[in-house]
This record gives sequence, structure tokens and C-alpha cells, in this order.
Amino acid sequence: MRGIVGVFPELDATVEAVEELKKLRLGDVTIYTPTPRHEFEDVIKHPPSVVRRYTLIGALLGCTFGYWIPIWISDYWPLVVGGKPIASWVPYTIISFELMVLIGSLATVLGLFIHAGIPRITHTVGYDPRFSDGDFGIWVECRPDEQEQVRRVLREKGAAEVSGDR
Amino acid sequence: MSTMAPDRVELRPDNTATADVQLPAIKSYTQATDEILDTLHVTKAWFAALGVAVLCLLIGGIAWAYQIYMGLGVAGYRPPVMWGVYIITFVFWIGIGHAGTLISAILYLFRAGFRTTIYRCAEAMTVFAVMTAGLFPILHLGRPWKFFWLIPYPHWRLIWPQFKSPLVWDVFAVLTYLTVSATFLFIGLIPDLAVLRDRETNPVRRQIYGMLSFGWRNSDREWRHFARAYLFLAAFSTPLVLSVHSVVSFDFAMANLPGWHTTIFPPYFVAGAIFSGMGMVFTIIIPIRRWFKLKKYVTINVLDAGAKLCLFTSLVVGCAYITEFFVAWYSGSEIEQAYFWNRVFGQWWWAAWIMLTCNAIIPLSLFSQRLRRNTTFLFTLSLWINLGMWYERFVIIVPSMSHEFEPWKWGPYAPTYVDWAILLGSFGWFSMWFLLFVKQLPVLAIAEVKEIVPPKMRHSHKEPDPEGHSIAPGLIGSYEVR
Repeated sequence: MRGIVGVFPELDATVEAVEELKKLRLGDVTIYTPTPRHEFEDVIKHPPSVVRRYTLIGALLGCTFGYWIPIWISDYWPLVVGGKPIASWVPYTIISFELMVLIGSLATVLGLFIHAGIPRITHTVGYDPRFSDGDFGIWVECRPDEQEQVRRVLREKGAAEVSGDR
Repeated sequence: MSTMAPDRVELRPDNTATADVQLPAIKSYTQATDEILDTLHVTKAWFAALGVAVLCLLIGGIAWAYQIYMGLGVAGYRPPVMWGVYIITFVFWIGIGHAGTLISAILYLFRAGFRTTIYRCAEAMTVFAVMTAGLFPILHLGRPWKFFWLIPYPHWRLIWPQFKSPLVWDVFAVLTYLTVSATFLFIGLIPDLAVLRDRETNPVRRQIYGMLSFGWRNSDREWRHFARAYLFLAAFSTPLVLSVHSVVSFDFAMANLPGWHTTIFPPYFVAGAIFSGMGMVFTIIIPIRRWFKLKKYVTINVLDAGAKLCLFTSLVVGCAYITEFFVAWYSGSEIEQAYFWNRVFGQWWWAAWIMLTCNAIIPLSLFSQRLRRNTTFLFTLSLWINLGMWYERFVIIVPSMSHEFEPWKWGPYAPTYVDWAILLGSFGWFSMWFLLFVKQLPVLAIAEVKEIVPPKMRHSHKEPDPEGHSIAPGLIGSYEVR
């Protein structure tokens, strides 16, 4: 994977550079930012995160399992007390609720890991430690013949440093 | 609809904080990173504090070993009072945890900006408080090595726990709370661990931080999924706060004892838990902001907002106390009335009045803005709240058991030195983990603090907003705003 990385000290300059690169349709653009900013969300226009589906599925599984296990156990060893139903759903709702929260939360984390691509043990091209501190970064994946144009856009928009990486 | 307003694009609210939660002394992202990471340098005072915490833990550990050898009788259990300091302290520590989740999750959902600089400490407090609480049901067992019988594991005789018992609900609630709180804390830490990794010069520590941060790179893709996952974890934690202490209250409310068998218990316990946790947050955060030189971050405005929350929960708790008395009187039950009379004017008057004074009377001082903004006062008040809330649990548990239905069953209760040693040990255990935390990991969420620090801009905003709203500088017209 070849590309160009630009380091930007300013937020507005980074946004303008991303806009310009999107207009030129040069390749995949990745923004590095020390903190999430609405400005990038607005300019990149990503679809909603699919992590919510993991949350929903995990919560439903937890809820179902939380009802199933006490009901199964009650029916397995039926002790009728005072003519009351063997499987009483009211107290089992507590178990079901707790397992819904537990499995739903763990499924959410699983969704985050899968879609954010973590844990990552390899070096990420284009990443610079400054991006976790105070600077913004733009990594553009592009062919060798497009690199000069990308460098020019990044410099024009205010990049403090532009370099190639692979 | 006004026809005078000029045509203009509807602005999306900027994620720059409103005036009361801004950090005017923080000028750049790098300054925030530097100052927060500066708190990680160990000092002699920290080693001394850790030594004291470990000593307290050792005292508790020795007392527990003695109790295992001699039996539960050394813990002051005498019929009819068979639940004492251990169950009191269990409920106390579970309650402490609740304010942490309130600050980190519920206030996140409500977009209460003042939480930003205190939530990491509060969240860590939650995890360590629940870890401490989790020890007490085990300490309370005659044979603590059999604690796993409460967990529904597939036994070869297919003997399962009684799922209709509140004690089993407790196991599910507390274990879920511990797991979800620890997950929430750890997920929030990932971007900050990446900062630590990128700043670290020692290769071994860098490797460790690298593994713990899971190779986080701060890319837009990572942040997008992170924000969504964090939101859902907060959304799950919110009802969990309400459920866990409600379930703990069922331990009492499901039993047919005077003072316990009442439907007011779940909201009463939840409000008390949040109140006690706010007290502990002040006990922790006020020394931290002073000793770690974080006054620019944990501002007086932040403490003022927290104090208002503390005052509100104190009023709810005070209202619950009055309602309890009213319910006892209105029920017409002589046993219930005699129990409450005994609680406030009889055998346990001293404990009940410590509770009422510390939890419902002294916190009324927070109506004064001057006192809300006085850190010495807030810290002192927080110690009274901690004391009062421990005694609240004492007053809930001990008087009911010592003053049951039949007069021949009434009896006294006095904690022994083993109880006090184990209580001291629990504070040592909690403090040890917290002290280790504050010097290994950032006590403020670096990435979230940067959200309320204005970013560096190339162009300053020139066009004033006609209605005086806060506008993100330099971004107007550069892209479509919605």
C-alpha cells in the first residue's frame, strides 16, 4: 500500500484538505485526530457504525439465555410450592435483564474490535505519534502517478509536513 | 416564527464546551497531554500512602485469617443479629460505585460537560469499590472457599442455585456490574493508552502500553466505531446503576422483617448509593486536584456542579427517610411503629441520628453557593457523608434484626475488633488499587479533555453570529453544515 501522509497542526486546514482530496477522488483518505471532532464526521460522511447491530444481537441473546436457563432448571427439578407456577417469569426477569446487559455490552466491544480493526499488532502505514498528541494527519492511499498531486494539495492547504510512506 | 431572522444555514452545535465547563487555562492539545501525563511521576508521598494502604490491608487480612481459624463467632454475630458489619460494608461499597457510573455513563448520555474532568477517577472508583464489595459476601461465609456454589455452573448432580432467591440475583447483578464497569473503564482508556505508548521512551513500557492500547491509531474509522460503542456501553450502564442497587435492596425487601419489607427500598437504595458515591468522589477528587496540580482541569465550576448533584441526592434520601417514618405510622402496624420508634429514640438512637445528621441535615449547607465552591468545606462534608452513609446501612440492617416481631427474640449487637479490622482492611484494599491506578494510568481522560479544548485554527472566525451563539471558529462556509 502506497500513499502520502500530511501532518496538520490546525483543524480547519485539515478539514479543507480533506474536502479538496474528496473532490479530486484520488483514493482512500484516512484522517488521524487526537480527539473525535464533528467537523471530520461532517466532511467524511461515513454511514452509521454497524456496532449497534452487535449490541442488539448480543442483548437479545443475553435476554433469551437469561430466561431460558432458570426456566429449564425449574422444569428439570419441579418443586411445586403453594400451587404456584414452577417457572415464575417475574424473578427470572432480573436474571434475564442482567444477562442482557452483560452479553450486550460484551457484544458491543466485540463489534468495536472487529470494525475498528483492533487489536492490531502490525505497524500502520502513515501513522505518526504526533497524531495522538496535538496534530491532525491525513493519509491518502494513491498510485505513484497521483502522488505529486496529493503532495501539492496537502501543502497548499497548510500541511506542516508531507511525506511518502509504504 | 420570526420573519425578521436573516436567512442563514442552521449550524450544527459545535463540540466546544459551554462556558461553565470550558477550561480557559488550557491553550492547546499538547499542553493537556503534557500536564495530565505529568501526574504519573511517582513521589515519596505516593509511596508512603501506598505503604499505609498495604498496612491496612494486611491488618484486614490477618483478621480474616483469624476469623477463618476461630469461626464466624469472632465477628460479633449473635442471634438474632446474624448480618452485621460485613453486609453493612458490602452495601456501602456497592453504593460507592454507583456515583462513578452515574458520572461516567448517565451524565455522558445527558451531555453534562462538567463530568469530563472527573469521570475517569469516578469510573476507577466504581471498579475498585465493586471489587471491594465483592469480597464481603465471601468474608461473611463460614466456609469462604465454597463461594462458587452461588454461581450457576453445571454440577454433575445438576444441582443449581435457587433462581428465585435475591442472593442469587445479587450474584448476577454484582458480577454484571463489575464486568460492565471494568469494560467501560478499559474501553475509555484505550485512546489514552495510545498516548502513553507514543510518549513512552522506555522500550519495555512502550511495548506494554502498545499491547494494552491494542494498536490504537486515532483514525476516523476507529473513532467512529469507538464513539458508537462507548455510547451503547453508557446506555447499558445507565439501567444497570438502577438495577444493581435495586437488586441489593431486594436482599432486605424480600424478607419479612419490620423495616425491611417495603416497596420504597429500591429507589431509596439507589438514591442513597448515588449520594454516598458523590461523597466519595469528593473525598478522592479534591486531594487529587490539589496534589496532582489539576486545578485548571477540575475547576471550581466542576465541583460546584457536583455539589448540586450531591445536594439533590441528599434531598431525595432525606425524603426517603421521612417517607419510611410515614409508612410505618400510616400502616397501623404496631410492630412496624415500635421498630421505627426503637430505631430513632430507643436502642439505636445514636446510629439513627448520625445517619440523619450526616445525610439529611449537614448537606443542606450546599444550598449556599459560597460553601459549594469552598474545597475545604466540600472535602470535610464528604467525610461526614461517608460516615453517615455507612451508618445508614447499619441502621437499615442491625435494628431490624435486633428488634423483630417477638420481644423474646430482641437482642443487642456490637461489632468486634475483627469487624473493625476487616473494615479497615477494605479501605486499605480499595486505596491500594486506587493509588496504583493514579500512577500508572491518566486520572483524566486525555482524549475527552481535548474535546473541550479549542483546537488550533489557521483562520479565526470573522463573521459574528447575529444571535451571539458560540460558533466553531474558522469553519463557517468551508463545508456544508447541518
